[in-house]
Amino acid sequence: MGELASQKHVQFIVSVEKKKDSFESVVMEHIRMNGAYWGLTALDLLGKLHVVDVEEVVSWVLQCQHDSGGFGGNIGHDPHVLYTLSAVQVLALFNKLDVLDIEKVASYVAGLQNEDGSFSGDMWGEIDTRFSYIAISCLSLLHRLDKINVEKAVNFILSCKNHDGGFGCIPGAESHAGQIFCCVGALAITGSLHHIDKDLLGWWLCERQDNKTGGLNGRPEKLPDVCYSWWALSSLIMIDRVHWINKDKLIKFILDCQDIENGGISDRPDDAVDVYHTYFGVAGLSLLEYPGLKAIDPAYALPVDVVNRIILDR
Amino acid sequence: MNEDELRSEAKMVDLLNQFEHILESDPHIDEVGFVHPSQFFQLNEEAGHSLPSSDSSADGNSVFWNDDHKLGISTQVLLPLYKASKDAFMTANRQFKELNSTSDVSGVENSLCTSLSLDDSIESAVMKHSRALLLLSCDFGTAWHSRKLVVLEKHKLSALLDELLLSALVLSYSPKSEYAWGHRKWVIKSISEKCSTLPEIVTKESELVEKIAERSKMNYRAWNHRCWLVSYMTREQLLHELKRSRHWANLHVADHSCFHYRSQLMLKTLEDQCYEQEISSSGYSVEIYLLWKDELDWDEMLIKRYIGREALWLHRRFLSLFWIKHFLTDHTGLSSHGKQKTSMNNDFSVFMDNELHLLHSCSIIPDNSFDDYQAQAMHSATYMLWLIKQIPDSCRIELQEKLRTENLKALLNKVCPERSSTWDCLTGYVEASDH
Repeated sequence: MGELASQKHVQFIVSVEKKKDSFESVVMEHIRMNGAYWGLTALDLLGKLHVVDVEEVVSWVLQCQHDSGGFGGNIGHDPHVLYTLSAVQVLALFNKLDVLDIEKVASYVAGLQNEDGSFSGDMWGEIDTRFSYIAISCLSLLHRLDKINVEKAVNFILSCKNHDGGFGCIPGAESHAGQIFCCVGALAITGSLHHIDKDLLGWWLCERQDNKTGGLNGRPEKLPDVCYSWWALSSLIMIDRVHWINKDKLIKFILDCQDIENGGISDRPDDAVDVYHTYFGVAGLSLLEYPGLKAIDPAYALPVDVVNRIILDR
Repeated sequence: MNEDELRSEAKMVDLLNQFEHILESDPHIDEVGFVHPSQFFQLNEEAGHSLPSSDSSADGNSVFWNDDHKLGISTQVLLPLYKASKDAFMTANRQFKELNSTSDVSGVENSLCTSLSLDDSIESAVMKHSRALLLLSCDFGTAWHSRKLVVLEKHKLSALLDELLLSALVLSYSPKSEYAWGHRKWVIKSISEKCSTLPEIVTKESELVEKIAERSKMNYRAWNHRCWLVSYMTREQLLHELKRSRHWANLHVADHSCFHYRSQLMLKTLEDQCYEQEISSSGYSVEIYLLWKDELDWDEMLIKRYIGREALWLHRRFLSLFWIKHFLTDHTGLSSHGKQKTSMNNDFSVFMDNELHLLHSCSIIPDNSFDDYQAQAMHSATYMLWLIKQIPDSCRIELQEKLRTENLKALLNKVCPERSSTWDCLTGYVEASDH
């Protein structure tokens, strides 16, 4: 089995930011805030966050903020909770949350809670359990969970639970490992994990592992994909059922998805690499306690030392 | 800006004008795609043109191809075309927002006529440029949002329906686009409050999902959209959809999303029935009983025909769970009644004998075995473990005389020894809940 090409991955992540000459790269500019979170968190896990110019990043993040308190995916783009959480996470990585008007950001997020406890992603009202997780994670990082009705938020998440033990994006939607991470993460942060049948959910999650490659998929009959080494694996850890899968085979699968020559990790072996899968590959290896990586928190999706600094040092 | 930059800037604007002109002159375009320049010749041949019908750029290369309401865009111009449409949209959008924020406070000095016509031209610029942009970058949220703002100001049903067309066009080149699906949902929600043709729209939506699911396998957002429609369906539509999706599932047995959709249709039928039952208190209708029984038989037929398909076994877990819950256990509080109990146990025995028989026939692996048979045996064994876990305690004892969990574990270890720790955990869990 090969080793993690850490140095190459650092070079790849740094180079992505500078590439602006292809359609494929510019067409992603509306989610640059998410990209910043993926790239910078991966760098931090690899112990190389210091290669980045902090002031430059912080000033750009602040330029993406709107009067409402929410953040856009880039300068001049409309605000959405998806980018607001990423902005808060990026600032948290650099220990720069103090540059924010905390009350304003928290009010934006809390204002998106609906009567039934669910959360809209923005003023246009699309509802999704992803947005419930984002709101809860974001408000917890800002120490402002008291601004929402946590009980109702938890009840809405539970209403999205399926008979197979998994969760979907709204009530009645098919179980999906990404949505499960969001629901389990939100329940973990609010201390509500006792509401779920961990064995039943663990069963669904461990059946995501492919017998041959050892990789995890996100739904039945789908191909394995490195990103589920985060979504499904972190969920298994939060419900204490990670021993239900073969960890060694999963480590091998992630390492097989590396581009050893140019850095970066892809969804499956021999596919094209990108920063999204590079982050989730590194984060998955961190959860699997791969040597040389910082530990990552399975609920907040931030390095453990960053979370401790925020949550413990109140 | 130097001369070269100016020239390329002008070229970019020309390109955008050309693109928007095509979109304007053929409002019925229903499919768009990015095409490598080398494919243009082939497209023309297939369309049976002796002369290229494509529009060319100044240097003579084909840039757009438009025929039979299909539009091809050369991959060579994607970058400049994207930049031009984004710049044009962002400029129009800024003006639109400025206008909106000042319109509340603007004094009466402004001639109403001038401000209205200015409004109109800025609005149509937002619509024109956002359409071009979204056909290149499907999840550019700000562009979708601005369209919603403009549509809301128009207060016209036709404007809302036009948005369904654009969203469908975007989905033709990007079937997973989160924003395009979200936009549809928003339009339908807006329409549902004031439109009498909702059933028609629901039918059309369902057909659209089916068309997209054909090309884009197990598309989560597409199927989720269809599941969301279930709450708007009439009883006739539910039954029609059950019939229609069964035909589709017959041809796509690995598409778990379709089986999930069927489960939602069945649960909605059951739920509606429960609601009626509360009024009549006459128990489950024969209709629902037959619906479930028929689905179990159909699923079994597919399992035997298509070896080793996880989706079919997971659908069976769902069917069995609700079969046991609603048709085998007595939930009217009469379980102490001797006669009732005997009949229930009898039904249960018949059901379990059938499932055990299925397990037996699916766990035989032929000598010239293929992977499919190993998968079939694995799925049948985990299905049975799952069933043991789900059935009521009183029935479990009876079952255990016929089937021991160790046997299932042995089978799993035989077909998939590399997952032995998983099988230990699962059987341990099932055994631990035996009382």
